[in-house]
Amino acid sequence: MVHKLYRDFVDATQKVFNLMLNISDVSEHPSEDFKCDDEVDIVVGVVGDLQGKIVYRFPVSTSLNMVNIMSGMEFNAVDVFVASAISEIANIISGNVMTTLSDSKIQCDILPPEQYKLDANDNKKYEIATNCCICTIIGKICLEIRLNRAS
Amino acid sequence: MLWKDNYELGVPQIDAQHKELFRRVESFLQVLRSEDSWEKKLPKLNETLEFMKKYVVEHFHDEEEYQKSINYPGYEAHKQRHMGMVGYVQEVSRKYEQSNYDENLMQEFGGRLLSWLINHVAAEDQLIADYAKKRG
Repeated sequence: MVHKLYRDFVDATQKVFNLMLNISDVSEHPSEDFKCDDEVDIVVGVVGDLQGKIVYRFPVSTSLNMVNIMSGMEFNAVDVFVASAISEIANIISGNVMTTLSDSKIQCDILPPEQYKLDANDNKKYEIATNCCICTIIGKICLEIRLNRAS
Repeated sequence: MLWKDNYELGVPQIDAQHKELFRRVESFLQVLRSEDSWEKKLPKLNETLEFMKKYVVEHFHDEEEYQKSINYPGYEAHKQRHMGMVGYVQEVSRKYEQSNYDENLMQEFGGRLLSWLINHVAAEDQLIADYAKKRG
C-alpha cells in the first residue's frame, strides 16, 4: 500500500507538470535530497477509507516558476495569488490520486487545500508515512504522505 | 499568452469558447496584477467577473451538450466539475460584494482560476477529445 500510494502521487505529479506546465523531464529522488529554507507548504486533508494528510512543500523559487509559466507573467514574490494557484495545483494532484484510488476500490475524498506551517514537534504516528522529492527543470517539490486506514 | 495551441480539442465551437475564456481570463489577470491602484482596477475587474459568471455557465452548458451528443462516458463526472466551479465563482462573487470588493479575495480567486482553467482545458477536456477521436 505504501509503495502504491507513493507511486500514485509521483505519477500524478508528473502528469500535472506535463499537461499544465509542459514539463516532461520530472524525476523522483529520496526525500533527503530536498533541502529548502524558504518554502510554501500546502496541506490537503484526506477522509474516507484512508484518513490523514498530504503535505506539499514547494520552494518559493519553484512556486514562482510554476505560476510564471502558467500565467506568462512575471511573479517575483509569493503572495495571496501565488499561494492560491499553488494550492489549486496541490488540490489537482491530490484529486487525481483519489480518482486512481477509487479504481482500486479505495474511496477517499480530499478537503480544501490550506497553507500549512510545518511543525517539528508533530510526532503523530501514521501507518502509511512516506516522503518523496520530485525534481524538475524549474525546481524541486517534496511530498509528505501521512495516512491511516479507517478503522 | 495564456492560450496554447495544444489545448485545441478539434471541436470548433468549444475551441472558440475556450479561446474567448482564456482571452478574458488573461485580460482579467493583467488588470488584477497591474501596478494601478485597487480603485482604478475595480471597474474592469467587476466587469470581467460579471462576464465570467454568465459565460462560464453558457460554455459549460455547450460543452456538456457536446459530450452528450457523442455519448461521452465521463459526462457525469465532468458535469460535477463544472458545477463545482460555477458554485465557486458564485460564492466568491457573493463574498466579494459583501466585503465591499476586498482585494485579497480577488487575488485568491485569480490564482485558483488560473490553475483550475489550465488543468481543466489541458487535462480534463482533452479526455473528451481523445474519446471523440477513438470513436471516429
